[in-house]
Amino acid sequence: MRSQAERPAKVAIRKLPTGVRGLDDILGGGVPELSFNIIAGSPGSGKTTMAHQVVFANATVQKPALFFTVLGEPAIKMLRYQQLYSFFDETKLGKEIRFSNLSDVVLNHSLDTVFDEITKQVTAVNPGIVVVDSFRTVVRKVVTSTSEVEMQSFIQRLALFLASWEATTFLVGEYSPEEIRDNPLFTIADGLFWLSQNVERNSVVRKLQILKVRGQESVPGLHTIRITGAGLQAFSRTLGFVRKTPPRTRAKRKRLSMGIPDWDTMMGGGVYEGDSLLIAGPSGTGKTALATQFIAAGLRRGEPGIMAIFEERPKGYTDRADSFGLNLKEPLAQGKLEILYLRPLDLSVDETMQEILDAVDRIGAKRLVIDSLVSLEMALAPGFREDFRESLYRLIVALTGAGVTIVSTVEVEDTFTGYSFSHYTISFLTDDIIRLRYVEIDSQLRKMIAVIKMRGGNHSKDIREYVITDKGVVVIRPHTTEYVRLTTGIPERTGPRPAQVEESPPEPRATR
Amino acid sequence: MGQAPPRTRDLARRLIAHELSENKSSETKNPAPFLVDQKLRALLVTLMGSVGFQALLSRALALTNAEGPWLRAVTLKADGSFERLDELGEDQIFEGGVVLLTHLLGLLVAFIGEDLTLRLVGEIWPELSPDLDKGSRT
Repeated sequence: MRSQAERPAKVAIRKLPTGVRGLDDILGGGVPELSFNIIAGSPGSGKTTMAHQVVFANATVQKPALFFTVLGEPAIKMLRYQQLYSFFDETKLGKEIRFSNLSDVVLNHSLDTVFDEITKQVTAVNPGIVVVDSFRTVVRKVVTSTSEVEMQSFIQRLALFLASWEATTFLVGEYSPEEIRDNPLFTIADGLFWLSQNVERNSVVRKLQILKVRGQESVPGLHTIRITGAGLQAFSRTLGFVRKTPPRTRAKRKRLSMGIPDWDTMMGGGVYEGDSLLIAGPSGTGKTALATQFIAAGLRRGEPGIMAIFEERPKGYTDRADSFGLNLKEPLAQGKLEILYLRPLDLSVDETMQEILDAVDRIGAKRLVIDSLVSLEMALAPGFREDFRESLYRLIVALTGAGVTIVSTVEVEDTFTGYSFSHYTISFLTDDIIRLRYVEIDSQLRKMIAVIKMRGGNHSKDIREYVITDKGVVVIRPHTTEYVRLTTGIPERTGPRPAQVEESPPEPRATR
Repeated sequence: MGQAPPRTRDLARRLIAHELSENKSSETKNPAPFLVDQKLRALLVTLMGSVGFQALLSRALALTNAEGPWLRAVTLKADGSFERLDELGEDQIFEGGVVLLTHLLGLLVAFIGEDLTLRLVGEIWPELSPDLDKGSRT
């Protein structure tokens, strides 16, 4: 038996870029060269645009692209609309990209003549990429006029001829999922790209699925796609990457300051770098103020940060931070801080995650704030809300794996019968949980902070009172034991009334 | 679409002038404007099929006839060629041909934009390519 070194090398299959952002990652590196592919889906799902992106990404003078149009959208009409996309490079037309209309041949001649015409042009041009759009219209004629065997034979001959002539082929067509089982085209194809467009309530959701790609591992499942001025963009379910940074062992990780010394102490010395921390509490308890101090503490240490916000506009954040004495405007101008204000309608969760990931990569962010998870979910198209938890999980795993420390805020309603941490049951996604809540003491609603969970680290078990000063700075009071049942929100005093530093009220405190 | 802009008319005239100089010694019976049409036809049929080209040409002919009487007697065949051209006088054919070509190019500009139109024209007459771009943008 021959050793590994003695064995002949396996075939090296080059992978061609698709020109569609995110798609190469989904495909496992690109489209296998010389493969015979189908781009299928419903009208308006982006099939032709995808084919054009492939063509523009690969066509060269030496190996041009040959784009056959059949019945349906003629090349002149494609040119009219496709030139509006930023990937369209008109200098490539003619020598690198050639269009040819096969309508007359398909309408007036036999299948053999169609095959002859294709072979004649391929032989003359020697293309690296061949597209037939729409192949469905070729086949439809065949089905009505010839036998199924003849159709199979035609497809087989075409596939063999184009591969032999070293062309990577894309047949574009409108197909329905029911046709996959019986249509021989799908059996012969090496790659099958399925695009769909569905209306969910008032939103349109476009999806891509790689049903098949021979010889390489693609990312399974449905991936969101969006058509913008740059053409199609695909958002992988794995968010396009598994971070390259090796997983860190907890012992080696350092602690990061949250920007409030007492808070750091409660957490056993700060948050672990690369942790995901959740601040849960009702409205007005200062979640945003805490998150802002976390980002500001990082910026002071030279750690770039991202704030992904969904409610308030960036100016509101920076103005308020100014009033806290936290200067965010300067790092913002220096590119050390990015505030992503994400609030468009029909936002897909994967696009949101991709925007955050892009920003993290762009500035090398070490700290990320998501404020808040409730408003992030509200900004999503209804159809994506079901995927919210799953996508959030992927984002957190991807970023924390790369050493980014995430602070998310979530609004929870205080009840006097329970002590919930989040409506979303997402606490399993987080390493650390901070819970803020209101308690009634001496006819006042006062605020309490507790560290609920610190994965892999000891932390204070105390429930501490805190105040937000008129400058917005969070001050955590020393621990006292004069009250019990603080978590109910209606505690009982067990000792003498402790001296309290009053928050400056808008009116004098009530007296007995 | 009304009258084509002057620079499209100028482009048409330059193409015709080029064809005239190219075919001085040849024995072609086709007047120069229609030689240009023929050459455009060969390329446009690959882009839009013969039916598509015939439709575009019929529109250009209708616009020409709305502008003047030169080609009103002419009819268009299914393959995109003209009938009864031989019944017209030389000047009539030439003037009508210029206007027809202007409208054909004008339709292309309206449809795919000036950049791509010039690029297609440059594919047919590569020797004119640099001048085409310069001329059209001045």
